[in-house]
Amino acid sequence: MKNLNILLLLFSAISLSSCEEVIELDLKESKPRLVIDASLIWYLDTSGNNQEIILSKTTGFYEEEINPVTDAEVVVETINGERFIFTHQEQGIYTNTNFNPVFEKDYTLEIIYQDEIYTSSSSFVPASGIDYIAQNSEGGFTREDLEVEVYFTDPVDENNFYLFNFRNISESKISLEIYEDEFTNGNQVSVSYSNEELMENDEIHITMEGISPAFYQYLFILRSQGGNNGGGPFQSQPATVKGNIVNETNPENYPFGYFRLSQADSTTYIVQ
Amino acid sequence: MKFNLSALLLLFFLIFSLGLEAQETYTLNGIITNASSNETLIGVNIIIPEEKKGVITNEYGFYSIKLPEGTHIVEISYLGFESLRKEITITQDTTLDAALSESSENLEEVVIKSNTEGLNIKSPEMSVNKLSINTIQKLPVVFGEVDIIKSLLLLPGVSNAGEGASGFNVRGGAVDQNLILLDEATIFNSSHLFGFFSVFNPDAVKNIKLYKGGIPAKYGGRVSSVLDIYQRDGNSKEFEAQGGIGIISSRLLAEGPIVLDKGSFLVAGRSSYAHLFLKLADNPNSAYFYDLNTKLTYTINEKNKLLFSGYFGRDVFDINQNFLNTYGNSVFNLRWNHLISDEIFTNLSLIYSDYYYGLTLNFVGFNWDSGIKNLNIKYDFNHYLNDAFQLEYGMHNTYYEFNPGEIAPVDENSGINYFKLTNKYALENANYFSVEHKISDRITAQYGLRFSNFFRLGQNRLNEYRNNNPIIYNAALDIYQEAEPISQRSISRSEVIKTYSNLEPRLALAYNFNDHQSVKASYNRMAQYLHLISNTSSPTPLDVWAPSGPFIKPQILDQFALGYFRNFQKGKYSLETEIFYKDIKNRIDYVNGANLIANNNIETIILNGKTRAYGLEFLAKKNEGSLTGWVAYTLSRSEQQTPGRTPIESGINNGKWYATNYDKTHDISITATYDYNKKWDFSANFAFQTGLPVTYPTGQYNFNGISIPVYGDRNSNRLPAYHRLDLSATYIPKPEKQDGFRSSWNFGIYNIYNRKNANSISFRENDDTGRNEAAKLSLFGIIPSVTFNFEF
Repeated sequence: MKNLNILLLLFSAISLSSCEEVIELDLKESKPRLVIDASLIWYLDTSGNNQEIILSKTTGFYEEEINPVTDAEVVVETINGERFIFTHQEQGIYTNTNFNPVFEKDYTLEIIYQDEIYTSSSSFVPASGIDYIAQNSEGGFTREDLEVEVYFTDPVDENNFYLFNFRNISESKISLEIYEDEFTNGNQVSVSYSNEELMENDEIHITMEGISPAFYQYLFILRSQGGNNGGGPFQSQPATVKGNIVNETNPENYPFGYFRLSQADSTTYIVQ
Repeated sequence: MKFNLSALLLLFFLIFSLGLEAQETYTLNGIITNASSNETLIGVNIIIPEEKKGVITNEYGFYSIKLPEGTHIVEISYLGFESLRKEITITQDTTLDAALSESSENLEEVVIKSNTEGLNIKSPEMSVNKLSINTIQKLPVVFGEVDIIKSLLLLPGVSNAGEGASGFNVRGGAVDQNLILLDEATIFNSSHLFGFFSVFNPDAVKNIKLYKGGIPAKYGGRVSSVLDIYQRDGNSKEFEAQGGIGIISSRLLAEGPIVLDKGSFLVAGRSSYAHLFLKLADNPNSAYFYDLNTKLTYTINEKNKLLFSGYFGRDVFDINQNFLNTYGNSVFNLRWNHLISDEIFTNLSLIYSDYYYGLTLNFVGFNWDSGIKNLNIKYDFNHYLNDAFQLEYGMHNTYYEFNPGEIAPVDENSGINYFKLTNKYALENANYFSVEHKISDRITAQYGLRFSNFFRLGQNRLNEYRNNNPIIYNAALDIYQEAEPISQRSISRSEVIKTYSNLEPRLALAYNFNDHQSVKASYNRMAQYLHLISNTSSPTPLDVWAPSGPFIKPQILDQFALGYFRNFQKGKYSLETEIFYKDIKNRIDYVNGANLIANNNIETIILNGKTRAYGLEFLAKKNEGSLTGWVAYTLSRSEQQTPGRTPIESGINNGKWYATNYDKTHDISITATYDYNKKWDFSANFAFQTGLPVTYPTGQYNFNGISIPVYGDRNSNRLPAYHRLDLSATYIPKPEKQDGFRSSWNFGIYNIYNRKNANSISFRENDDTGRNEAAKLSLFGIIPSVTFNFEF
């Protein structure tokens, strides 16, 4: 029911039309933690051999640079003893080029960093493909913005969860949308992307990923914490959002981030 | 148990009536009204000085008192009215009705005005605030909209979660812990436009009383406070109308006799009208609210009276026909006042009340409806037994129907499937008795007991969980996860799935040193069976109410208060100081990221926590003279804790106590009204409050291309302090005019030094630079206003 969140945003928009100003506010800085962005994506009709995992550390809230972790050991293993070693390239990006994606198999992530072992395990979540992409000019609350609609058919026999990633290459902006079929199970439905700045000839890279209910929940919480939803009388309570990766050596020093494996469809769309 | 209680009550009365009725006395009773309209007056003092006896009128203007045979002087006095002195000879039970005239200003200062809103020193009643409508109407308010709830915020112990937050918080309690009664009917949401205005039309209101503690046994079902509001009855002598035109809304009220001196009607309407200008400007968006109050009163004879009240209010938002949102309360009730004997006054109420929330999102293609309905029968007795004992007893029964939500497609093109969240049903009943007992000349007590029962009734699709545990703690990841129901049962609505019973003792004691000084102490236990499901900083209109049941326990309050009260110079000045401590069990809290919207299994995302609040309140008032007003100060702390259910679990906020969203350490209000002359009076108020608790980020990281803030302990930071000064002036062009068209103007300036108070601080990524920044939002800067009021 993410759409109802729009409603909360709207409430904020009406009630908060008053006066907003950017202020200087000193913030305390918490001790840095390891951040693991381990999203292994297997695009439809590809081998899925090339994968990457990104490691960094948390920084001060106003810092502009990320703080990459370059000296960790990163391995993904399967129960049959397959071992995929991810090697560091640059800026905390670790890659593997002979990854072997298979459904219904458990993959285990193991990271050794500063003598502490971080682990997690997960398996691939399938995704149906994008049916087609449509466009209209009735997006946003004003119904005047350009809007890109991604149509897909939800499988009827299960509860599905999706992550849509809209990357506006021209504007270099990313928008994540999560979708659950609770109220639309088995239907052909659309997820749309629009904002005031969307213009003709903008190049939008769209991916649609199948995700687990737990990862959906994780993203749901992240979104409610994230930038644009903060503040206002309808703000939800800020919280520490923990993912599915455990520090085996020192549980107190838990990491942020998530290990997940998704099948995905992707396409590029030029706004008309 | 119910039978036992009744038997106990009966025994009680027998003992009282037998033991203490030795002297030859008769009953004097009657109804006190306003001479110009025949409206009954609440809280009028009836005093027999030589007997050192007194009584006050109840909610229906009735009083009853025992007097020995002989001739007595009876003094009847009421704030804003001329006092009456009557000599009466009593040889049998006697009825003395009296009509008081409003003290008119053109009589100059010769007449003894009983304008003293002094304290009731001897009564055990404490932690109670009354505000007269006259006072409220003179206070400066934002946009010039006279607002009962905003006025209450100027009193000690009452606050809210910031400008524009809905509802109000009493002594560190949550918004849903206030029992709000309008003519005895429960109002579920007290705010218009989220929280900018309250739902009560001040013109239609007769009396307001807020109980913050020492709550009598007559009230129950909410743990923090009772706001008891009575609507006016209407004028049964002559037709009258009054109204006002303001910046935001306009009001009109008409009242008059149906049957002269016996029956009256009152109709009042209020509506905002900014949307009309939007329409003129071809703007397809609109946002408005309206409400309608009605009242019919009919006196059948000396012993019987019927009253019908209605309230209907709605907020409407319409954005481009794309987003349509409607919500509000409706209330209907029928009451029958009946005198069983000269000393037993009864009121039977039949009440229907509901709260509706509807939303249509055309761009998503769905309709949403949710709400709560209740049907309520109350039978209350006021029994004026003798000089020492006044009793109140009665029974309340309420049937609830909860609709947590229904989703339907707007048309056949919509991709939405029909979905209904399971309706829930419950029955709440309570029997109570309450005694006001004059133990000696110095000591008066009020004690009572309320026995409340809550029956959660059968419903469709009741979830059952493994080990009866709907929420699972994942120790490895240190997160709470929703359990999957293992089965669902449908149970007939005539069956009870869960019962809760509570004995709620209430006690208040007053010890008066002399006529103008006393100390008072009180204790009350209360149970609350309904919960507003809300995890935002302040409740939103779409939050749903949920009943206690197999997975949610009733909230139980214990509150202690101690106070010192003093009148100076015969009530010209008064001082009230109180300290309080309260503790509430079973306050539910929500796990991180709980999604409450359209969630059919609320039990899978909540944990059982507790809250506590304590503080000091101080109120000094000047009640007489051309300058009146008060200084109110509250020092308090309100906290919440939700520990894990086992030592392994982390609970919420690692099981640590944290400040509630509405905790304000210091809260100061200074209010003054100056009667300059007959044409002009001026008012000012100043407020200073500690900033609200918030949570600031302590870091950030990047995940899947977006920046995620890292937060520290919940509510461990504070917004900057809040303060502002407001001024207003009321101008009456022709104060000598008593009939015909009369008018007044109210000019106001809110937040005169234009302080940009932080309503919230949000943390976000700047759209253009991509840098993180903190943005302060302030709602109301300096706001001038003009309101024109008239009556004829």
